[in-house]
Amino acid sequence: MKKTILVLLSGVVIALSFCQPLTAIPAFARKHGFNCNMCHVAFPKLNDFGQRFRDNGYQIPGQSGRENTVFETSIPLALRTTAGHSLYKNKQGTTAGFGLYGLDMLAAGVLHKNLSFLFVYTPRIDEPAADFNGPSNGTNPAQIATIESASVVFSNLAGEKLNLRVGRFEPAYHLISSKRSYYVRQPYEIYDFPAGSNPYSFAINQIGIEASGRFQPGLKYSLGIINGSGGAPDNNTGKDVYVTLQKTFGKGEGQSAGQRLGVFGYFGRQPSAFSPGTVVAPTGENNGRENRSFYRLGGSLSLNWKTVNLQALVLKGNDNKAFNYYETTRDYSFWGGLVQLDVAALANNRLVASLLYNWVQPSKYDRPNRVSAYSALLRYYLGSWSAVNIAVHAEYSHRSLWDNPFFNDDVFTLLLDFDF
Amino acid sequence: MKKSKQVFSLLIVLFLAGWGFCLAASDEKPPPPLTQINTQVLGPQRLGPLPPVVAPPNNPQSSVKILLGKQLYFDTRLSKDNTISCATCHDPLLGWSDKGPTSKGIAGQMGGRRSPPVSNAAYLPLQFWDGRSPSLEDQAKGPIQNPIEMGNTHQAMIRTVADIPGYVEEFQLVFGEGPITVQQVADAIAAFERTVVTTDSRFDRFARGDHAALTRLEKQGLEVFNGKGHCTACHWGPNFTDGRFHNLGVPAGDPKNPDLGRYVVTKDPHDMGAFKTPTMRDVSLRAPYLHDGSEKTLESLIDFYDRGSGKDANLDPLLVPLGLNRMEKKALLAFLKALVSLNPEVAAVQPVPQAALPK
Repeated sequence: MKKTILVLLSGVVIALSFCQPLTAIPAFARKHGFNCNMCHVAFPKLNDFGQRFRDNGYQIPGQSGRENTVFETSIPLALRTTAGHSLYKNKQGTTAGFGLYGLDMLAAGVLHKNLSFLFVYTPRIDEPAADFNGPSNGTNPAQIATIESASVVFSNLAGEKLNLRVGRFEPAYHLISSKRSYYVRQPYEIYDFPAGSNPYSFAINQIGIEASGRFQPGLKYSLGIINGSGGAPDNNTGKDVYVTLQKTFGKGEGQSAGQRLGVFGYFGRQPSAFSPGTVVAPTGENNGRENRSFYRLGGSLSLNWKTVNLQALVLKGNDNKAFNYYETTRDYSFWGGLVQLDVAALANNRLVASLLYNWVQPSKYDRPNRVSAYSALLRYYLGSWSAVNIAVHAEYSHRSLWDNPFFNDDVFTLLLDFDF
Repeated sequence: MKKSKQVFSLLIVLFLAGWGFCLAASDEKPPPPLTQINTQVLGPQRLGPLPPVVAPPNNPQSSVKILLGKQLYFDTRLSKDNTISCATCHDPLLGWSDKGPTSKGIAGQMGGRRSPPVSNAAYLPLQFWDGRSPSLEDQAKGPIQNPIEMGNTHQAMIRTVADIPGYVEEFQLVFGEGPITVQQVADAIAAFERTVVTTDSRFDRFARGDHAALTRLEKQGLEVFNGKGHCTACHWGPNFTDGRFHNLGVPAGDPKNPDLGRYVVTKDPHDMGAFKTPTMRDVSLRAPYLHDGSEKTLESLIDFYDRGSGKDANLDPLLVPLGLNRMEKKALLAFLKALVSLNPEVAAVQPVPQAALPK
């Protein structure tokens, strides 16, 4: 069976490597006639130019107001999906099969000078089903329907000092972006870690307003006010706030050149109790009560040498004891982080190799949830680079819950990642 | 709730209809002339073959005017001491520039900047490294009376030309009866310069569909040029230039008299130390490089950009270190050499002087 799968996949890879480059390429590259790695080290990871392009409201760095809007170009739509074969193994046994691992529909562009937008929609996927209950069950779709991003950016309101992002967006405190990580199957565990009963999630995009900019070259800030409830309606009258500071040494943005240090702080209040069924506003707010505070503090670094990039992030979280159902007399606290080493090689960064170590260490009363994960990947980009939007991707992760070896698992995935 | 749904649906329909209309309308809109790209606030354009040159309505092209302009372009008698012509510093055999690093004018005087290429200048909305001139006609008047370049005055130059019978006859043929003027001289030179276009490089053949026109290495270089090398961030469009101004972190020269570039024209602090993006067509014929000729070879120029260019507080944000490996640099170099035009040499036959030198 495994041999059959390997032969089939090899056939697909060989066939694709000989096919003509696709004419359709993602929205920004198509608009400007650029190759993908004008903005990406290799998609989806941004390089310094791409980071500046994003910071400048999807306008060419330093060139705001001097390019076409979405009304003068082709429709700025793009799709990204991944399809392949996964092998999952734990103490209970092994499963393996082909699968689709998600679909993003994306629209983005410039509406007017210094006014741009980003819209990312992930549709609900019942088929292929996530489990053997099948689509008819409907309780466990392979992907939930989400407007992952729907934001408008007002750029250069006071030169480089002030940009405003409004709507739902990836907050700037993701100093290492999980949305643009090479890893398809392995998340950044510290981002996804469910801390006690706190409804706040660090990983998901938030709704609110973010101000960002730079006061001197290499020093970036951001300030945000958000609901803190992710895609759900706000559930209290208070708002969460965060601040980030990043300093880059040398030329570049610390993405693919220059060395970058960053710190962030997130301070929020979330309800620790709800009165279910008592909707108090037409927009769906739930009357959460007994708001309690929590915080996340962290730092990151990104070091670059030629096409080698070492990133690390450490996060410390502390939630009010009201969120601690393990030990209700003490605050729930945890810490963790990630270290990732990316190397791009061959002409035009066609080959990417990466190693990733994730860990999360909660307090001792939550020992079973301690996480340690080792991952590695190889990506090879096919076709002419003028339309490179297909990558062959091999990823392996070993994940262990330290106090419960029964749940240790290994995941190996071979897939095609394509954008168009 | 029902009403809000209806309103929401209506808004979506209106939005889609409006969008569709805008897209349809944009399809009908003809593209603007290339010379207007930068003033029309359009962003990066795709690389491709050059379109035909469009002459301004007040200086239409004619074969006799072009010939007259060619004679004037190569005529050293336009300078004060009969030693310098336009072609001295914008030599067809040196990619319509000179061997630099900066240009030598009358009496051996050295200018502060390198000669920008005349080839394909017809497509640029602004002339000179700092863009101080809005047209080829306006530009052509400048060097004649520049004390370092041709060192003449317009009046003296006109007297010289008017003393040459052949020129008098030709000016009458082109412009009609009446005294010869500086504007006529400039118009004729500009008309000739509009014919100096290099349209037939191997890249152009490749862009027109001849996939064998570029070697495998050159195609890899094109990928670098338009991607990891970030070259097309500035060198975009058929003429391989955005016609805009960028600070590359090149040292400003003499600290007592620094070259402030575009800032001198606009007084905008963002333009401090910024210079116009030159075309990359025929670039391998035009060493040394940058506005001050400080990079002697294409190889060193690639290394300069690979380092993220120079240092300056006003460095253009487009410039970042590239992380190119040796193979990518080799490919990029090969592609740049494929931008040399194979057009018949436009100035291979230089015009015969119309008369003996005036006394």
